[in-house]
Amino acid sequence: MKKNKLWKVMSLMLVLSFLLVGCGGEEKKTTEGDKGSSNGESIKIGFLGAKNGNHAAFGIPTLEGMKMAAEDINKAGGLLGKKIEIIEEDHGSKNTEGANVTQKLITRDKVVAIVGDPTTAITKIAAPIAQEKKVVLLSAGAVGTGVVENGDYIFRDTLLDAVAAPAVTKYVKENLGWKKVAVITSMNNDYSVGLSKLFRAALVDNGIEIVAEQSIQDGDQNFSAQVTAIKEKNPDGIVFTGYYTEGGLFMKEVRKQGMKTVMVGGDGLLGDVLMKMGGEAVEGSMIYCGFAADENKAGEKTKKFIEAYKTGNNGTLPDMFAAQGYDAVMLIADAIKAANSDVPEKFRAELAKTKDWTGVSGIITFQENREPIKSPVYLLEVKGGKFTVKETVEIK
Amino acid sequence: MLGQQLLNGITLGATYALIALGYTMVYGIIQLINFAHGEIYMVGAFVGVLMVTVFQQGLAASLVAAMLTCMVIGVSIERIAYRPLRRSTRLAPLISAIGVSIFLQTLMTKLKGPQPVGFPHVIEDAIYKFASIEISKVQIIILVLSSLLMAGLHFIVKYVKIGKAMRAASEDYDTAALMGINVNRVISFTFAIGSALAAAGGVLVGIYFNSVSPLMGVTVGLKAFCAAVLGGIGSIPGAMLGGLFLGVAETLGVAGGFDLYKDAIAFTLLIVVLLFRPTGLLGRPIQRKV
Repeated sequence: MKKNKLWKVMSLMLVLSFLLVGCGGEEKKTTEGDKGSSNGESIKIGFLGAKNGNHAAFGIPTLEGMKMAAEDINKAGGLLGKKIEIIEEDHGSKNTEGANVTQKLITRDKVVAIVGDPTTAITKIAAPIAQEKKVVLLSAGAVGTGVVENGDYIFRDTLLDAVAAPAVTKYVKENLGWKKVAVITSMNNDYSVGLSKLFRAALVDNGIEIVAEQSIQDGDQNFSAQVTAIKEKNPDGIVFTGYYTEGGLFMKEVRKQGMKTVMVGGDGLLGDVLMKMGGEAVEGSMIYCGFAADENKAGEKTKKFIEAYKTGNNGTLPDMFAAQGYDAVMLIADAIKAANSDVPEKFRAELAKTKDWTGVSGIITFQENREPIKSPVYLLEVKGGKFTVKETVEIK
Repeated sequence: MLGQQLLNGITLGATYALIALGYTMVYGIIQLINFAHGEIYMVGAFVGVLMVTVFQQGLAASLVAAMLTCMVIGVSIERIAYRPLRRSTRLAPLISAIGVSIFLQTLMTKLKGPQPVGFPHVIEDAIYKFASIEISKVQIIILVLSSLLMAGLHFIVKYVKIGKAMRAASEDYDTAALMGINVNRVISFTFAIGSALAAAGGVLVGIYFNSVSPLMGVTVGLKAFCAAVLGGIGSIPGAMLGGLFLGVAETLGVAGGFDLYKDAIAFTLLIVVLLFRPTGLLGRPIQRKV
């Protein structure tokens, strides 16, 4: 009797699963013909990002940069005789909405390319969708791993830690004479663990000795034991790969124990909270990032971009996201021009060939795996409670 | 290096001890684990920040203000959330305590935001050297102040009338009441003192670590509770010893490269000690009544 019932349930489930698979297959068929290729008046580029929610601070400047690029192109006569149109959507910083927006942009709006998302997490959600529908996706902010691995339609134009960490390591060795350093990793922070790995390799390559390694955790407040441990080894510098809150507090403890050393770290430290938590202790700290508005050191193109952004945004300086959003649209436009076609299959190949391309956020070359090499790396220094550009490190 | 790390541990342990005292005293008298105690510590730290930033006061004034505010809060919590439940099952006030603790956390998050707030600079970063050990001014202040506070508590409990009443109530609550001790007053007083010590701990930790956040009471509260049980819950010297023991163990653990297990160290220690001494390090053996 019991066995009988089990069989019934199992066969029912089997039938149901066949039905579901069938549905899935059919759905695929109906959307197959929908992939982007515009026959209309304009070339549509989609914006995937947040205008609301936690990531709005990344999304809004990206969109602003994209709009400026479209305007510049349209003013100069458009592209292939058509105008560029930016299709805005807002996923409100929600992962699930990220997938919906990507679907909508591709099937309803029929965009030829998507710029976004500024975060790694949502880019990874959107990438398989774009890849399947054969639409170019160019993220102007995702720095984590597992993005371009999704397929040959996926690109990004942001500075990668894998490029920046070795360059910065070389810089501190050659220009600041660091010979031994302490490496601090936040163990419950993926970004920090990954970045420490990159730094460790770079330090070894440059012959800098790691005299102390200490681990902390995001949310920690007491760093006295770690600082005491590294103090004994008397390092020339501290490589700190975590975020700004812990970075500020860590440096405060470093000063409290009488050490004069400064720290260097990635853009996880880039935030005003660093100065709020660290105060004077973070003076001289160095942070790298993919773009910083600095009118004195900027090239012609970048200077013009900074000026235009300032006039359009009440004098605010553009950040990394704005510059990379601008470059993303320009990169796609140049690829379309070179392919003389706005069909993604065709201009994708041109985009992949991008080499020594000068944008407002720097010079970009796509490697074979569509990962960008970006030059220069902006090395910022905390001076008088503010981030100032210390150096622009060229990458070859 | 070992001496230096021991000093770091003792400083941390002193703050744990200050908080653990509140757990142990309340438990000693009404057998209640006041899980809102960690949040009183957190509120104390925020009052300290408020005094320094808004009212431009120094360390002494902020410390006193935080202690007084938390005394009022502690006594009110007891009146509102615990006293009406005193004659109900043991679980009811425990749940109520957890409720109060969540209430205080969310209230502070609403008022101050979830991000940690930096504690303003009230003590200069001076360092003194004794042999190979360096001790900062902040560490000296924490050690001296917490020793003074604990000595004061010891004096009250041993020699002052209300302290004697506390001891009597912890010995046998009902008999003490029959002997004419106003037990409600004793309990209120216990909450007031415990909360004041926690508030002092909050301000000192805020100064030591430069950061105050609405959720800072959670782990520290749990660890102080651990310290109280470790030392023998209900025992005042036990709480001090447990706090110091825990602070040193945790710091040495981190220094030895076990940072990931930092929070686990406290609880592992607790389990080990309880396996061999079920009443804690200085706990009284359980007497069976015949």
